[in-house]
Amino acid sequence: MTDTDTQVAQGRIADAVRDGVLPGRVWLYSNYHCNLACSYCLTESSPRSDRRELTAEQMIAVAEQSKDLGFTALGITGGEPFLLPWLPEAVLEMVKFLPLVLLNNGTLFVGDRLERAAKLAHPDIALQISLDSHLSDINDMARGPENFAKVVASVPRLIESGVRVRIATTTGGPLDSAHLDPLKALVASWGVPAEDHLVRPIVRRGRADELGLGVQAIARDIPSELCITADGAFWGSFGPTVSNGRLDTDLLLTRTILPLSVPANALLAAVSGMPEGADAALGIR
Amino acid sequence: MSRVELLDAATAPLTAQQYFAGGDPGPIVAALATVPELLGPALGFIGPALSAGAIGVRAKEFAILRTSALQGCTYCIHAHTTVSLDVGLSPDEVRALRGELPLEEGFPSVKERALIGWIDALAGATGPIPDDVWTEARAHWGEHDLVEISVTVGATMFLNRFVTGFQLPTSSDVLERLTAEGMS
Repeated sequence: MTDTDTQVAQGRIADAVRDGVLPGRVWLYSNYHCNLACSYCLTESSPRSDRRELTAEQMIAVAEQSKDLGFTALGITGGEPFLLPWLPEAVLEMVKFLPLVLLNNGTLFVGDRLERAAKLAHPDIALQISLDSHLSDINDMARGPENFAKVVASVPRLIESGVRVRIATTTGGPLDSAHLDPLKALVASWGVPAEDHLVRPIVRRGRADELGLGVQAIARDIPSELCITADGAFWGSFGPTVSNGRLDTDLLLTRTILPLSVPANALLAAVSGMPEGADAALGIR
Repeated sequence: MSRVELLDAATAPLTAQQYFAGGDPGPIVAALATVPELLGPALGFIGPALSAGAIGVRAKEFAILRTSALQGCTYCIHAHTTVSLDVGLSPDEVRALRGELPLEEGFPSVKERALIGWIDALAGATGPIPDDVWTEARAHWGEHDLVEISVTVGATMFLNRFVTGFQLPTSSDVLERLTAEGMS
């Protein structure tokens, strides 16, 4: 793109974000490998998964260009981002541009990793940790052995270190079920405010699709957030899923990820072709 | 067997769906769709470059079929043998463009042979093009004609290497037609 093209893109994307046509958050899949292998994982992540990492330089460039284009927030997910040894330092560079939320499974915060995570005590950084039930056996059925114990040990440590923690609960049941009340109480007992406890449905993509779990979702059901991965840019953080070992391409926008104006413009064009108001219908977030 | 995955309506990226709305768009689109940001620009170039344009469909098929024959692109030779017959080229003209008959036998017209000479110089050789080839072509064709046909040769060479490299499959319809025409 020429400088003029980039300037035009900056104005167009900034307008779209300001007017609510595009969501403000840009997501990054830092990597696809994970120390867990959750039953409903969108990306079939596991310790054996192809890593498909973004580099620290790419992630920082996405952060800088997101701000330049007029986006307002960042999100990092995976795989398990904290398996990347350079992640905390890269996140501290990224937050110089935009506030961010960092999704993780909360099971790696011991020893040196806890010390390094504690560096992320910053008003514009939130660590979003997954926890699906107040009952360890129910939680661990989906997320793996000892997951519950590790999370309930990690969260207070992180909060004590000054790190802002959010909790994300993924459920196959109704989002407002009373069965979630004890979990909400547990989360509240850590001092996590209710607005920082997200409850969302399992989305039937990736491994969840193979097992017939969760809600069916098409593009208009998924928030149209720009999502950057090593494989390209996608419509939404639920876009770059993996099924039977193959990347799903149905929500692919572009293979080009930088300059960010290329996928951002493709997303805006795609959003403009959707029926008005048709997004987030299933409470997916 | 294609070397790359040929996407279909279910796997085509959101930004390429429009090309699949009318049914199977063919293997070139299905392969290009894996990099959706290139699909629109590529088709936006290929479409006008290969269509009748100002110079006309007959001359365009000279360029496409002759270039494909010189490049040894089986897929494009097959596809444009049928297209050439459909737009009115005779079987002998098609065979001459495919290099199966002497050019003079298929094309008694000096003007048409001059154009094919320009196509041959572009698609069948490397390095500078001799002045006499240009002079002969210009004696019969306008500069704009030769610019247009040269764009067609270039677009065809891109497609030749693209489909050959990825071993894209010729459709069964085309193969059946070629058999029926005795030109497989």
